[in-house]
Amino acid sequence: MIPEFQCHKMASLFKKKNALIYQQRLTGELTMTQDELMYEIRETNLTYLLLAQQMIRKDQATATFRLGIGVDSAQILERLSPAQILKMAATNMLLCRFRFDDQMIFGLLTDHGREKAMTQSHAALLIAGQPAAGLA
Amino acid sequence: MRNKSVIAEARQIDLAAELIRLGARLAVLEAETSLSRERLLKLYKEIVGKSPPKGMLPYSTEWFTCWRPNIHSSLFIDIYHYLGKHAGVDGIEALIRAYKLYLEHVRIHDTECVLSLTRAWSLMRFIDAKILTTIPCTECGGQFIVHKMDLHNTYVCGMCNMPSRAGQTNKARAERESRAGMPDAEAIVPALPLDSVVAQATTIPRRRSRLRHAVV
Repeated sequence: MIPEFQCHKMASLFKKKNALIYQQRLTGELTMTQDELMYEIRETNLTYLLLAQQMIRKDQATATFRLGIGVDSAQILERLSPAQILKMAATNMLLCRFRFDDQMIFGLLTDHGREKAMTQSHAALLIAGQPAAGLA
Repeated sequence: MRNKSVIAEARQIDLAAELIRLGARLAVLEAETSLSRERLLKLYKEIVGKSPPKGMLPYSTEWFTCWRPNIHSSLFIDIYHYLGKHAGVDGIEALIRAYKLYLEHVRIHDTECVLSLTRAWSLMRFIDAKILTTIPCTECGGQFIVHKMDLHNTYVCGMCNMPSRAGQTNKARAERESRAGMPDAEAIVPALPLDSVVAQATTIPRRRSRLRHAVV
């Protein structure tokens, strides 16, 4: 089994390779090709899975709240080996799902009205009330 | 009560210390740990550096239905319920985690921490005792704290239907003014036509020198 810090090394290597491309893209010199898109998705998946696993290992209950998943999914994520994570990350789909399918939460999170802190609390409250993503 | 197991006692001390650090009062510690009062007192003094406050705990259920406290405590209890439902923790463990998540939220959004741990604990007990409950707002669908026996078929939460002057306390006003630099800056300096602004601009250096003299 690969130790955790090596996983992070892998993740940062991915990032270094892509640093130049990022810069060019930011300045508008480069548009994303198909390969790059796949690369980006894989990298995002990898970062997400590693972060999720780290959070779950630190404190499972808090992590389930932050990730919005159920305890069964959390236990599976916790047990994944680095090889499995790499395999999971290498797909053409993003593994993290959009969390607010609700017009209301969208509106609140992007609102600039009075009592900014209150709208943020409102959004947090609505997200906390959503059901957890779990295994069927 | 004497603890048989040393490890169990260590765990209890750990729990008590964490609660004290989060700001728990002595009554909370006595209810949630099996340590004796003397030990708890000692622990409290060691961590906080002074004796615990005496007197009764805040016991009002009305407090949780006021506008700002209601929003904060509803957020807390929603996190608490999530942890109970989906993360498989309950009781004091869930309370500590939910309260830490609540504190995090408050810190990130730079708001005042309205709900203390002691209040959060009594809120938990009020809900267990079925004095308070949560019901969904008919507009946004979020769960909010209400009195169990009230009628709330058409309940609308305090954020979908903000009461007039809600959150406009003296404190909030003072903060806004200090952020703006000066109170009502626009009212004091009326908008000037461009010509007069240019004319003023030429006199600015002289004013500055005068100011410097004044300071010296």
